[in-house]
Amino acid sequence: MSKELSAKNLTFSYEADSPKILDNVNLIIQANTFNILYGPSGSGKSTLMKVLYGLYPEFAGTIQSGQVLIDAQDLADLKPGAIVKKIAFLFQNPLNQFAMTTVDLEFKFTLENLALPKADMAQRIKTALAQLHITDLRYRKIDTLSGGELQRVALAITLAMDSQFIILDEPFASVDLTSRQQLLALLKDLQVNHGKTILLADHDLSGYADLVDHLYQFDQGKVQEIADFSVVFAKFQHFDQQRRFPLPISADDCVLNFKDLSYGTGESPLVQNANLPLLQGKMVLLTGANGSGKSTLFKTLTRLHPFSGTIYYQQEEIRKIRPKQYAQKVALIFQNAQMQYLRLTLQEELDLSLAHAHHPEIWTPAVISDQLQALHLKGLEDHIVYQLSGGQQKKLQILEMLIVGTPVLLLDEPLAGLDMASIQVVLPMIATMAAKQQQTIIMISHQLTGVLNFFDYHLALADKTLSYQEVLAYQSIN
Amino acid sequence: MIFASFEIAFTQSIWANVYLVALCLVYLIPTLTPKRIAWLLFMPVIPILGTWMSFYFHGTGDVWHTSWLLSTRIYAYIFLGAIVTFTMPINNLLGSLEQNCHIPSKFVYGTLGAFNFIPRVTQTVKQIQSAALMRGEVLHAWSPQIFFKAVLISLRWSDDLAQSMQSHGFWEQQHRSHFDTYPMPLWNWAVALLALGGLQVVAFSGLG
Repeated sequence: MSKELSAKNLTFSYEADSPKILDNVNLIIQANTFNILYGPSGSGKSTLMKVLYGLYPEFAGTIQSGQVLIDAQDLADLKPGAIVKKIAFLFQNPLNQFAMTTVDLEFKFTLENLALPKADMAQRIKTALAQLHITDLRYRKIDTLSGGELQRVALAITLAMDSQFIILDEPFASVDLTSRQQLLALLKDLQVNHGKTILLADHDLSGYADLVDHLYQFDQGKVQEIADFSVVFAKFQHFDQQRRFPLPISADDCVLNFKDLSYGTGESPLVQNANLPLLQGKMVLLTGANGSGKSTLFKTLTRLHPFSGTIYYQQEEIRKIRPKQYAQKVALIFQNAQMQYLRLTLQEELDLSLAHAHHPEIWTPAVISDQLQALHLKGLEDHIVYQLSGGQQKKLQILEMLIVGTPVLLLDEPLAGLDMASIQVVLPMIATMAAKQQQTIIMISHQLTGVLNFFDYHLALADKTLSYQEVLAYQSIN
Repeated sequence: MIFASFEIAFTQSIWANVYLVALCLVYLIPTLTPKRIAWLLFMPVIPILGTWMSFYFHGTGDVWHTSWLLSTRIYAYIFLGAIVTFTMPINNLLGSLEQNCHIPSKFVYGTLGAFNFIPRVTQTVKQIQSAALMRGEVLHAWSPQIFFKAVLISLRWSDDLAQSMQSHGFWEQQHRSHFDTYPMPLWNWAVALLALGGLQVVAFSGLG
């Protein structure tokens, strides 16, 4: 019997008549190899990973044709209990991995599900934790662990389950760079010394050159093995770019000011003693590695996350401003567009924002009509906002928050999931309207190509330090 | 305990209720702090007073007996509930129900998963309220929008939770083993029977 995980002529879509996410995919993952599947964000890599693991079509979508085989058995014929003994899965969001409150309870829950005897469970928990050097995490609460620690625990659990194949779906999305390197070394060790098979999906290929046995490219629903992958890795090196930004000269015109600002998650600090101003009417780009605490900074600034030190809004300490008033000064465009919606149709959403606009004179019916036209939202006024596509929801969210026009607007990855054509409409719109309303914009964006010209300053979060930086080094892949 | 709850729902004895409260108090002694005692005794004062007054002033028949019967019954239920919530963590309670009462593990772990989401729920409701404030709307705890949005979000969470449980080997019809066991020794049964016997004596002694 061949030890392998394979997809044969696999075609998958979410609805019978919707576009094919996987289009006749053929893929063979041989036991005891290290495999990387790469492709742009939002291209459907997660879908492929979940189909290979059997979560889809059980939880969503349908297999139009073809099959997934594990050790020559059709995955569709296996019960979930039988699949997990062969394949383990690490989710993109490590928090989605756990159903219990502590590491210990999650281990026990998992091993009880495999119906192991108690003595065997105790031994496996000990060994797995020791192998990943996290014995001290055993009795910690899940919600006090950092992204890197969570993925380490998730990996330890797959070791305890003793599955042959380990599928990892963008496992480093909320993990800092150091943890990422440590986790990669661990994965390689599992393959070489413990006979595991690794299949990992990522949009970023850095750090993989010396680890990988097989490299697959995923694009437009198709998988293609790259025979000579040194070329691909070399290409990634080629596009290293640099960009220079000015530094703010004086802090005279500042709208927000940090004094010894510190915050963290659980027991680990993210930022320590930040002291800097944010200037009125400027556009600031906020960069930093995954898991470094950029989104948490936004939550801190909107008082959704505890902090120590002081934040001043125009000389007034923000803790002393009433929440209702403060929300009219500093607003956040959440990553999840639906978080922002309060009405049912697109028109009602716009009307609500207009009713609370700080500069209603700017937002004449003609201006709004033009903006809707540019965003390709014209004609959708009566549509239910929750039924719009992901991109349309995001564009509406940005527009309605611009209409409100708070003096400070924070944007958390507003460009993720937008195509290049939309980005080229959205960014100039933000810049123009923000200038008219004298707004300060702070934006987190991983998408940097075609974006940088719009920003006045570059704020970097690295090594728990928040500071303005002149140089922004980045890679452009496309 | 469940039997006792049913019984006092139908019996007319004030003393049976008082007996139950006393019995529960004895059982709770090791876990009770002054704060908890105060909480148990004074939190229900308003509903109990309301019940007592409405039956005393607007009731028919033996209003003295009915009003005292129903108000002591509320105390009895509160103390029976306290036995469950104060003496064991939710994990152990559900674990014990799974092992001793053979309640389906899907129900047990679904409930446990939901309990574990409580901190995230609190955080998310705060976020929903704050997002609304940024658009000039005040959402109170009773605003329908909060519920609508909470339902949308919980639908996604329930899907995530189901996927995470399945990825850790959980599925409905499986046989599970148990790391921590919650045995019911013989003396537990004996104490339960004795206490129930006592309840019968008090309930049917004609004390009123």
